[in-house]
Amino acid sequence: MKRLLSHPITGHICRLLLGGAFVYANWTKLFHADEVARLIYGYRIIHPDLLNLAGIIFPWLELIPGALLLIGILPRSAATLLGGLLAVFIGAAALVMMRGIQIKCGCFLPLVSDHVDWLMILRNSILILLALQIIAWPTSFLARRRP
Amino acid sequence: MAESASKPRPLLGPLVSAGQQTVAGVLIGSLAILIVSATAGLIANRFSPRRIPLFPAVRARDVISLPLPPGIRSMAPQKAYAAFQAHSALFVDARSPDEYAQGHIPGAINIPVNDFENGALSHMDQLDSAPAVVTYCPSMECWDAVDVADRIREVSQKPIYVFEQGWEAWQADKRPVTKGDQP
Repeated sequence: MKRLLSHPITGHICRLLLGGAFVYANWTKLFHADEVARLIYGYRIIHPDLLNLAGIIFPWLELIPGALLLIGILPRSAATLLGGLLAVFIGAAALVMMRGIQIKCGCFLPLVSDHVDWLMILRNSILILLALQIIAWPTSFLARRRP
Repeated sequence: MAESASKPRPLLGPLVSAGQQTVAGVLIGSLAILIVSATAGLIANRFSPRRIPLFPAVRARDVISLPLPPGIRSMAPQKAYAAFQAHSALFVDARSPDEYAQGHIPGAINIPVNDFENGALSHMDQLDSAPAVVTYCPSMECWDAVDVADRIREVSQKPIYVFEQGWEAWQADKRPVTKGDQP
């Protein structure tokens, strides 16, 4: 099992899946900070004075590490950052569900449910597993063996 | 010697693996990505056509207003009620027809965001004759009212507002409501 998990091909697949998911989910949000701020407001975990700043920075905070993973630059750091973000998203989603609030998550529309629900938590948990694989056994297309 | 010859050697050297073997190196790398991402976001917002201020404008303490597209203004609950009483604006309900039928602001027309063309066409006379337009949806985190307001702005020169706190605030404040599929 460990051999399979640590295999470079597994690493490449995890890296491309995680990086691709974040790039896909964020490239359309890059210049729509107003919409992102409204989505973040729904979670009610950030002070209203900081919503604009969060709306401006969040899409880039997800896209740049995602792109770095796709390329294979600083894979461990990028995966650590995205893993941390995913953990925050899971905590925020759990809080929203505990409060009984029904909101849009604005995550991967139109591939799966766009609402904060168990499916979102499950999806983010799987993505965290991908991040852990990358942190444990980082790979990069940019690495090559000596001739 | 043979063992070192088979070790991976990064093409881009430091960018791929430098410092990535220690916890401190990984964390420093994460911090660097964080700083670069934040800077990119701030620069992109600076030159974006939908640029928003870094911090919201100071308003009444109990009224939050989120950033809106250019040309669309926010209307606080008290002002929305005043506009309703004075008949100084046309209210546009951006929710689904089912939600609209279950209860809406008296006089509000229904233009669901998912059927904007048909909804706007069938209410074009009212949109043309209204002194101002106020859109609303369930609550502050929904984007539908903003979306509908943005699209009305493309076909109307009237002042356009979004009642951001929306239907939930209207009900919470015990304002008049009416049911059915007619305004």
